[in-house]
Amino acid sequence: MDPFIRGVEALSRACGVLAALCLAAAAMVVCQMVLVRYVFGVATIWQTEFVTFAVVAATLIGSPYVLLTRGHVTVDLLPHYLSEAPRRWLALLASVCAWVACAVLAWTGWTYFHEAWTEGWVTESVWGPPLWIPLLPLPVGLGILTLQYTVDILCLVTGRPLGGGLDEPVAPPT
Amino acid sequence: MSPLGIGLLIAVVTVVVLASGIPVAFGLVVVALGFLAVFDGVASLGILGELFFSGLADFTLVSIPMFIAMGAAIAASPAGGDLYGALDRWLYRVPGGLAISNLGACAIFAALSGSSPATCAAIGKMGIPEMRKRGYPDGLATGSIAAGGTLGILIPPSVTMIVYGISTGTSIGRLFIAGIIPGLMLTGLFGAWSMFHAWRDGFQATQERQQFNLREKLEQAARILPFLLIVLGILFVLYGGVATPSEAAGVGAMLCVVMVAVIYRMWNPRKLWKILSSSTRESVMIMMIIGAAALFSYTLSSLFITQSVAESIAALDINRWLLLGMVNVFLLVAGFFLPPVAVILMTAPILMPIVIQAGFDPYWFAVVLTINMEIGLITPPVGLNLYVIDGIAPDVGLPEILRGALPYVLLMILGIVLLCVFPQIATWLPDLLFGGT
Repeated sequence: MDPFIRGVEALSRACGVLAALCLAAAAMVVCQMVLVRYVFGVATIWQTEFVTFAVVAATLIGSPYVLLTRGHVTVDLLPHYLSEAPRRWLALLASVCAWVACAVLAWTGWTYFHEAWTEGWVTESVWGPPLWIPLLPLPVGLGILTLQYTVDILCLVTGRPLGGGLDEPVAPPT
Repeated sequence: MSPLGIGLLIAVVTVVVLASGIPVAFGLVVVALGFLAVFDGVASLGILGELFFSGLADFTLVSIPMFIAMGAAIAASPAGGDLYGALDRWLYRVPGGLAISNLGACAIFAALSGSSPATCAAIGKMGIPEMRKRGYPDGLATGSIAAGGTLGILIPPSVTMIVYGISTGTSIGRLFIAGIIPGLMLTGLFGAWSMFHAWRDGFQATQERQQFNLREKLEQAARILPFLLIVLGILFVLYGGVATPSEAAGVGAMLCVVMVAVIYRMWNPRKLWKILSSSTRESVMIMMIIGAAALFSYTLSSLFITQSVAESIAALDINRWLLLGMVNVFLLVAGFFLPPVAVILMTAPILMPIVIQAGFDPYWFAVVLTINMEIGLITPPVGLNLYVIDGIAPDVGLPEILRGALPYVLLMILGIVLLCVFPQIATWLPDLLFGGT
């Protein structure tokens, strides 16, 4: 079981790097777009859509990494008042519910992607790239997120520590 | 079951599900999923993937990770310390002056970072130990920073305001402008209380300290200036309608990263990577809540809850101020438990039509809503700023921090009352710059 857990965790970490790169790319393209549009006065074609999709990709692909590092904000009201054993059961229940939610999202994301792929849909802009490209992070990111939740559930059931060791404190939500 | 009955059930279930400690984003999906499956049939779930995607694929949302990156760059640099030091050199002789420097530093840092906990952390790390060293009461030292940090979501640029703008279809530039005077007003109120508190306790600026000459007074301020100019530049282009919030934020983020690298010599790729990865984590967290909230509000409107609630409240035909009072209490309670972004995304689509129908200005309401959310940041059980402060000064203890923060909570409520009596505090500047709504 440990190789599976370690494998998924490594995958989630790789997702984190990929998501960060997507955001960096988005930031650079925004600057390029501003430069082209406002300084050179040339119309931009692909930038708006690229940036939008890059941020969506960062979100979807980054989510397993954020789950791994406990960065998704929670409201720990009930666990706060529970003792150790019931707290673990509640965490298990919550993780199973979240697993179902992620699995349904990943599955419906997959069918949406698959439809776009087989029907050859393109996006609505002048640029018009195939729609399946921006949709790909939907099944992939949410699929890995579901895997990461599977690992969480396994860890809870077998009493392993969650999160594969935190590398930094949880990011404060805004 | 009537839509209102289902609505009530959803409210209760949402509270229970979120209280279980499930991440807010996935909790919202669970609730949406469950209610759609039960009331609209399992077949209705097929659209969820598409909805989640389209909830995220919006160019305006790009501004969120960009503003977060901007704040992360500034928060990772020693700018907070410089800001605080610069103000202290100007104000150190005023009674309670250090507390006021801190509040001023919070207000300015809030403008730079747009994030409340980041403001608390950046100013508090320097400010709290220094205040305690100079004999300020623990409650004042910690409470003022906890409260000052909340200004982060009111003073522009603010991620909370962007989320409000997106979910209600209001102008983000105008929202930013609307937050300025109320933000300054709260800063003033906080400062006045801190002076009074220091004076009441017989506390003077007793510490004999060297005089600072003008050069020393300007030295640290000069390092902060470029960042302030960037923020002013952003507000200016948004006000002028020259660029969209996403473009302004993207350029602002890039400039801030470059400035941090130049001014504070943070060339080290490891440090730059840290800025990038911390902004990624925070952006992903917020964006996932935004995607999940899209499913949640789709569920509400697909089960006719949004419409029914608005209609039945309109049918009540109650006094608009009573209505506002009720909305306010509701927001306060929601803010006690949920992060601001989640509260806004879940409630704004329902509250907005009600509030507008009652004749309130949507921009004014954004300010009132945001101050309510600020209160939630320094009240238990999930007052994030309290925990940030507790992390900085663990020996003070949460109860004392809470006692110190309480007067500021009352000041914020006073601020809301003032806004109700004088709505111009929020509407005057945007009306002046953009024309009336």
